[in-house]
Amino acid sequence: MMIYAEKENDNPKTKHGYPGLLIVIEGTDGAGRSTQIQRLREWLAVESYGVVVTEWKSSPIMSPVISEAKDRNLLNATTFSLLYSSDFAHRLENIIIPALKAGLVVLADRYIYTAFARDVVRGISPIWIRKLYGFAPEPDLVFYLKMSCNTLLKRIIATSGLDYHESGMDVGLSTDFYESFKIYQRRILAEYSKMTEEFNFITINGGQSPTTIQTQLRDKIKEQIESGIIE
Amino acid sequence: MRFQEDHQLPGTLICVEGIDGSGKSTQLALLKEWLTSTMGQVIFTEWNSSKLISRTTKKAKRKNLLSPRTFSLLHAVDFADRLEQIIVPSLKAGFIVLADRYVYTAFARDVARGVDFTWVQNMYGFAIRPDLSVYFRVPVDISLERICYNRAPKYYEAGMDLGLSHDPYESYRIFQGRVIEQYDKMVDSFGLKQIDATDTIHHQQLLFRNIVKDKLIEKGIEIK
Repeated sequence: MMIYAEKENDNPKTKHGYPGLLIVIEGTDGAGRSTQIQRLREWLAVESYGVVVTEWKSSPIMSPVISEAKDRNLLNATTFSLLYSSDFAHRLENIIIPALKAGLVVLADRYIYTAFARDVVRGISPIWIRKLYGFAPEPDLVFYLKMSCNTLLKRIIATSGLDYHESGMDVGLSTDFYESFKIYQRRILAEYSKMTEEFNFITINGGQSPTTIQTQLRDKIKEQIESGIIE
Repeated sequence: MRFQEDHQLPGTLICVEGIDGSGKSTQLALLKEWLTSTMGQVIFTEWNSSKLISRTTKKAKRKNLLSPRTFSLLHAVDFADRLEQIIVPSLKAGFIVLADRYVYTAFARDVARGVDFTWVQNMYGFAIRPDLSVYFRVPVDISLERICYNRAPKYYEAGMDLGLSHDPYESYRIFQGRVIEQYDKMVDSFGLKQIDATDTIHHQQLLFRNIVKDKLIEKGIEIK
């Protein structure tokens, strides 16, 4: 039932109607999104395309507030949800849309689907949240780096360790970090699976080697670019 | 969503609405005095006052950084925070809650600033519907006289970010005129009780207390 922002008239070939290209990489933490985006950025630059990368929760105004609220663990699900959407709105208007208007390639490290997965797991209405983000332009490509819960768990424990929110401790699923992480991430993965069809995700197996993943991403992007979607 | 239904909580939620200079805060303060003396403690909450976010909003305002949409979202964050931290617990505990401005402020202002009404309304769908909403209606010129007798209208209260006019007074008239238009529409669609804010403070307060009394009686709450 998602309705994206009304299409612009500058380029009939893109989904959002702006001259630029909007590419989204989705996936849970530990799926290797940032590494992949970094390599895509370099490759696209070599191929002579202007690239802008934007990360989830990174606007200079809102992200300190979100971090502070997280640290103190004092917000309910609705407030969190709205806080993330203001961060998104701010980045959209200051980074994403200007870049798309200028004909650049925008690589979004997470997009609205992250909010859909996380907030719905926290009890937010799926319809409400889709309408809330109804001002978001439709991406041209959405890649979903899919990981099995077990692989994810191992990878995260071996690198950053279990984090309070990423383990869904705030949801109150279990007082045990490991158990909570498992239940929480399973629910998140289930939400992503549900969304795969709804939003035409291109699913990529995140358990493969980074180079294999990168090749698959590039092939799809190349296909788009070579179809003459942007100038 | 919650806003479409009557809340089933033991407390009572009363809100006042109106543009700046309508005198609604004065009226609410007087009502609070009366309720406190007859009913005991009441809870008061004000628009854009949650600790978490009001600092951010103020900072952003100073730098004129935000679009109408981001602003609208930030106000909703503030509201959601106060709703869950103050309003809902107080209503559960059976208190009378007095709100200086409520979601109708967002409906009126955000729409006057060009944000889509359906979108704003959906966003605030999680709000508790008040038992009583009173709108203090004042013509734009009187509001301007009252708040700007010794200073020029401020940037955002005049809607200067919308580029309506370079003259802050003129911009104020156009922008607040639009806000009044939105409020007027909501009187019918949301059943706001209207009070003429050009009347004397005393008369308005008597009327306000009567409206509140009727509501409390209707809810079976005894007034000493």
